[in-house]
Amino acid sequence: MTSDRSSSTGEMNSDEFKSVDLQLQSSSSHRSISSNTWRAGSIKEVGVIELGSKGGVPYGSRKGGSSSMSMSRREIRDEDSRLVYVNDSVKTNESFEFAGNSVRTSKYSVLTFLPRNLFEQFHRVAYVYFLIIAILNQLPQLAVFGRFASILPLSMVLLVTAVKDGYEDWRRHRSDRIENNRLASVLVNNVFEQKKWKDIQVGEIIKFSANETIPCDLVLLSTSDPTGVAYIQTINLDGESNLKTRYAKQETLGTHGVENISGVIKCEKPNRNIYGFLGTMEVDQKQVSLGPSNIVLRGCVLKNTSWAVGVVVYTGMETKVMLNNSGAQSKRSHLESRMNKEIILLSFFLVALCSIVSICAGVWLRRHRDELDIMPFYRRKDYSGEDEDNYKYYGWGLEIFFTFLMSVIVFQIMIPIALYISMELVRLGQAYFMIRDDHMYDESTDSRFQCRALNVNEDLGQIKYVFSDKTGTLTENKMEFQYASIFGIDYNGEKTEFYGEEGGYYAQVDGLILRPKMKVHVDMELLQLLKTGNDANKHIYDFFLALASCNTIVPILVDTSNPAEKLIDYQGESPDEQALVYAAAAYGFMLIERTSGHIVIDILGDRQRFNVLGMHEFDSDRKRMSVILRCPDSTVKVIVKGADTTMFNVIDKSKNTDVVTETESHLHAYSSVGLRTLVMGMKGLSSHEFEQWRSSYEAATNALMGRARLLRKVAINLETNLSILGASGIEDKLQEGVPEAIESLRMANIKVWVLTGDKQETAISIGYSSKLLTSKMTQIIINNNSTESCRRSLEEALIISRKAITSGENASLLALIIDGTSLVYILDSELEEQLFELASKCAVVLCCRVAPLQKAGIVMLIKKRTDDLTLAIGDGANDVSMIQKADVGIGISGQEGRQAVMASDFAMAQFRFLVPLLLVHGHWNYQRMGYMILYNFYRNAVFVLVLFWYVLYTAFTLSTAINEWSSVLYSVIYTSVPTIVVGILDKDLSRTSLLKYPQLYGSGQKQESYNSTLFWLTIADTLWQSIVAFFIPLLAYWKTDIDGPSIGDLWTLAVVFLVNLHLAMDVTTWTWIIHASIWGSIVATIICVIIIDVIPILPGYWAIFHLAGDGLFWVCLIGIIIASLIPRLVLKTLVQHYRPSDIQIAGEAEKFGDLMESRSAEIEMNQPQR
Amino acid sequence: MNSNPSTPMNAHAPSSSSGGAGSPDSNTPRRNSKRPKYSRFTQQELPACKPILTPKWVISAFMLVTIVFIPIGLTTLFASRDVVEIIDRYDNACVPGSKSQKVQHIQSATSNKTCIRSLTVRKRMKQPIYVYYQLDNFYQNHRRYVKSRSDQQLRNRGDENDTSTCKPENEANGMTIVPCGLVAWSLFNDTYSLSTSNSQLTINKRHISWKSDRDEKFGSEVYPKNFQNGGLIGGGRLNESIPLNEQEDLIVWMRTAALPTFRKLYGKIEVDIEAGETINVVVENRYNTYSFSGKKKLVLSTTSWLGGKNNFIGIAYLAVGGLCFLLATTFTIIYLVKPRHLGDPTYLSWNRNPGGH
Repeated sequence: MTSDRSSSTGEMNSDEFKSVDLQLQSSSSHRSISSNTWRAGSIKEVGVIELGSKGGVPYGSRKGGSSSMSMSRREIRDEDSRLVYVNDSVKTNESFEFAGNSVRTSKYSVLTFLPRNLFEQFHRVAYVYFLIIAILNQLPQLAVFGRFASILPLSMVLLVTAVKDGYEDWRRHRSDRIENNRLASVLVNNVFEQKKWKDIQVGEIIKFSANETIPCDLVLLSTSDPTGVAYIQTINLDGESNLKTRYAKQETLGTHGVENISGVIKCEKPNRNIYGFLGTMEVDQKQVSLGPSNIVLRGCVLKNTSWAVGVVVYTGMETKVMLNNSGAQSKRSHLESRMNKEIILLSFFLVALCSIVSICAGVWLRRHRDELDIMPFYRRKDYSGEDEDNYKYYGWGLEIFFTFLMSVIVFQIMIPIALYISMELVRLGQAYFMIRDDHMYDESTDSRFQCRALNVNEDLGQIKYVFSDKTGTLTENKMEFQYASIFGIDYNGEKTEFYGEEGGYYAQVDGLILRPKMKVHVDMELLQLLKTGNDANKHIYDFFLALASCNTIVPILVDTSNPAEKLIDYQGESPDEQALVYAAAAYGFMLIERTSGHIVIDILGDRQRFNVLGMHEFDSDRKRMSVILRCPDSTVKVIVKGADTTMFNVIDKSKNTDVVTETESHLHAYSSVGLRTLVMGMKGLSSHEFEQWRSSYEAATNALMGRARLLRKVAINLETNLSILGASGIEDKLQEGVPEAIESLRMANIKVWVLTGDKQETAISIGYSSKLLTSKMTQIIINNNSTESCRRSLEEALIISRKAITSGENASLLALIIDGTSLVYILDSELEEQLFELASKCAVVLCCRVAPLQKAGIVMLIKKRTDDLTLAIGDGANDVSMIQKADVGIGISGQEGRQAVMASDFAMAQFRFLVPLLLVHGHWNYQRMGYMILYNFYRNAVFVLVLFWYVLYTAFTLSTAINEWSSVLYSVIYTSVPTIVVGILDKDLSRTSLLKYPQLYGSGQKQESYNSTLFWLTIADTLWQSIVAFFIPLLAYWKTDIDGPSIGDLWTLAVVFLVNLHLAMDVTTWTWIIHASIWGSIVATIICVIIIDVIPILPGYWAIFHLAGDGLFWVCLIGIIIASLIPRLVLKTLVQHYRPSDIQIAGEAEKFGDLMESRSAEIEMNQPQR
Repeated sequence: MNSNPSTPMNAHAPSSSSGGAGSPDSNTPRRNSKRPKYSRFTQQELPACKPILTPKWVISAFMLVTIVFIPIGLTTLFASRDVVEIIDRYDNACVPGSKSQKVQHIQSATSNKTCIRSLTVRKRMKQPIYVYYQLDNFYQNHRRYVKSRSDQQLRNRGDENDTSTCKPENEANGMTIVPCGLVAWSLFNDTYSLSTSNSQLTINKRHISWKSDRDEKFGSEVYPKNFQNGGLIGGGRLNESIPLNEQEDLIVWMRTAALPTFRKLYGKIEVDIEAGETINVVVENRYNTYSFSGKKKLVLSTTSWLGGKNNFIGIAYLAVGGLCFLLATTFTIIYLVKPRHLGDPTYLSWNRNPGGH
């Protein structure tokens, strides 16, 4: 107890495992650490609640992190707590005003919609730029465009977005209303009455029955189960579909009925950790501690329990589920960050243009200063009034300044603001196609690909590192019991589809036939042994008893078509445990009932009841769990199950030395074929030992402070001197298509790193079966537990790797295998650099036994040192941190919970979908987006430059020949649609070619679609095209009677045709949609120009018709288009001839494929000889 | 083994507690399958044409441009050569002296502005011969100028007072000006009368403006009012009894020029003038370009299908055509000397240097 004081101040150098909330999502860190090695941790474990940890926490360190204080050992301070008077909502609410239970997911109300929506929209810099320009234009001195024309584009964008937001919010309003008006039965004056959800208040008592959704966060008081167990489904909360157990405290279960319960609950303030809760309840002058297993959360559904009663502690927006309702964090794509740099460059161009104009204007004004008064086209003085004032002339300096601002207004689209909007639309379109891709649909789980974030689409085309979780990502996470080593004997004989008579083992209870839901292959020999009695039988009996009892699995009875027959569905959080229990059932040890106090196991037809006296749950420090059972013969047994590393420390090796060594060798064999292993141990307790344990156990469970630590201490004291029972080997099957996918990724020059919590042997064997490792590879294994030894092995490894490279051997044959313990010493130390150097030389990196935070640390190892893009893929809560750290995070929506999916940018059902996602969609997205950005730069700059050249011929006064409406519509109607359509639909290569040659992915990695060279080439091309487009008409119409609007129309049409044909020249795949958009845009432009020219009050009235009747116009138009595009075509042809890109060759091969087949066959024949 | 999602055992699960570890979605009804509906559109497999820059295409494209451009270039050049153009700059010749003297002369109400010029016709000019005046260094496209007009007022009698855009030339002596604005105010008012040695050349000033302007843009009901009555006279006056749509000089003038050097149509001569003839021009030199060093020129020009005399387009077309011919031959040579097999996988980067990543 003394240490608690220090711990509450955060000083204690705890020997705790490290667990830090890296981001908001990873709140379940206590689970996640364990999840890969052994998924036995249940919700009952007192969670580690991280409230205080903020900021950077070293990834690697495991010790000494004082900030990793677990909340469970901290007393709730008064200021951090809330007091809830049970069944007295008035008193509860009088001192603190707690939120009501109505929820509001909608953002706006009718009144706040306009200001809030506008405020949110103007968070985007682009819009602010838009707005400033529009405001500048409203000043009379600067009015370049008419009022309406200048605000049209901005208001269009704002309106469209506002309508979209408004519609979404209206739908949220509707669902909120439905939600808030649902009914729950609340205890009012000792009678349960129906009350609307929104009226529920903290402190009230609520009763709910099976299959009802829970309206708010409650502390359970009692349930229909006499022991106070309630089963809930948390699918709305974390997506996990299995049942979880919650307990009402013994003290509140009391006989005196719910109505009479009174007490005070002191609990922590609302927080978003759905796996943590801490509180105490004062009932009948007794302090009762409350943990996460005592509360049920809003959104959960009560199952298999006919009713439950609880007291409300958190309501409405303060419930954990609502607090967790924050959107995904936003990432910015690599391409976009690059683009922003170039946009800064463009803004320099803009400033340069404006400066040139304003300086020239200044010089012009200076030179003509004496003439300005009577110059017919300037006439500074206003002679109409009494005194001759200057008219709109503010002095030389100010005129220059205003000219500058006006030129910013005129040249505003140099900064392609519309690009941001186009990019969003394009990403939306790309997402549409990714989601609907047939090749990324998984039949077995009926799930599509999901795009959860819309801003990293194009990053998918540039990935260089893939960090993959193993369990559930490479493998299916469907565990199947395969081998058993029982008391030194390995039972791995022929497996049979054993169904026995009437299909598998079944138990008869009360005339009902119970069958396990999943069938397991059984070993005939073992089954025979069980049925005949001999000496070995005792161990086998104990072994299977251990499998059936030492777990947290809940058997659920499921009806079948046959009323006399029911299925037992074993629900639990650990798939390993499920596999073990199903296996035990298949061998005749069927778990058929579990309450908090006892379990019933049907042992070979004989129902036996075991009282569960205590349970030490799994924790990742001990890596084992234990149950204390009172057997029917009144003996007390401790059964322990755990990871081999920790189990052999607590097994009494002196007792059965042979058995222990035998088991160890079996374990080694199991793990080398990729099985997940667990070791069982057991011991009897004498009554003295039992009493001793019980007193300390009770003291620990009732402790208010440091409960988890005390319990762990009790467990460690208990789990000693065990005698070994045996070990199990569970197979975790590889997912379909994984080896092929990894092969493809490797060919695409993507490095695949596997980060797993599993043992080294298991990891390596999975590595082999997934073709990640091959027998040709040199394995470098780093397994150390001190900084010094790590340094040494890294140095040695580096020497090996250098040797391998210099000796001319292929460097791709190096594989690095490193474990979490070594990473503790390497990450965040000066050794990181060496590790990076080594890892970057290896083709394969396998990290085993890594903690979730280390996974993120490894991602950061790469991210910090290179610009290469990283992708993390995982399925469990333990992968959340790396998914969030990586440039692209992908969640596997599979067996484990949805936390990985919630944190991810994309979610899919199978690892193998990574191949179409990256190689096909990623490639397309990147190439499309890269081209679109460059094209948008070009498109806007060409127009701006044409305006700029004209300004030089107007005495630098920023008048435009091009009609203001045309300027406004240029990026809205004339040229916007084709670039978006091409950005969504153009394909440089077909899916088949991209999959056939994964190396083509390299174009994204080498940034072939967007780089500085291309940018500068584009700018040069822009300059040329603008010169051609401007000066051909200028020289052709020099000294003629051409009027402004006419030549303006010529420039408008020339630029629009040019820009659209330029795009047409770069389109590779002409579908009818692209045809329609490009030619449609040209037609739309002509129509718009005509419409503008038939308005009599505009100066350009009828100009286009006069123009079109003039031969010179057509000659100019054709000349402009041809002359502008020649350099581009020449350069393109030369590059394609002399330095053809892989994409281009593959494209040609696609077209002339048949010719090539024979040649490529030849090459394949030649290749082995090299 | 895992439970099969379609086994009937699950179909009756009472608690909808889902199918356990094996099949989390087994209780999803089959009919609601989320399988994307297949269409060639969603799979991005729409029928498409994929043009590739093959040598054949490139060379024929360049050849096509050559074939089209060179003839066009030649015809325009010839057309331009056929145009006979006489340009006479008279502003300096008519008013001698320094700049200030010139300004004084032109501003003076009493000075004699008549000026006689004679032009020699070197080549036969076929009718119609267009008479233009050309102003240099006159920014009719200046921002202050180009906006200083009221198209409403010009068109509609009722909108007479719609002059806000016309400042500072919107009213004089407290009354609205029709037509208002700097553009109208600065109306060009030099006049020319031409005669050859034996006869007077009539200059037809009808229909020198756009028909669309006369019909729609300038009202037949709108009469000039209070025009050129302000403190500073900008240019020509208008006959107040003629509606605006018949004031063709004004209509021409108000179609503001795009460029600082421009011509405006003064009238048409509808007789041929033989080569060697001398044309005598009597210029009433009233318009002030002296105060801002503008130039005034009189231009007589015949016309071709391309408009006036302009060699630029012809030369440009010939240049582009020639360049394309050059390019076509160059590419032909390149493809012949160093052919590249299209779509040959040996050119793929990983095949060129195998193993090297």
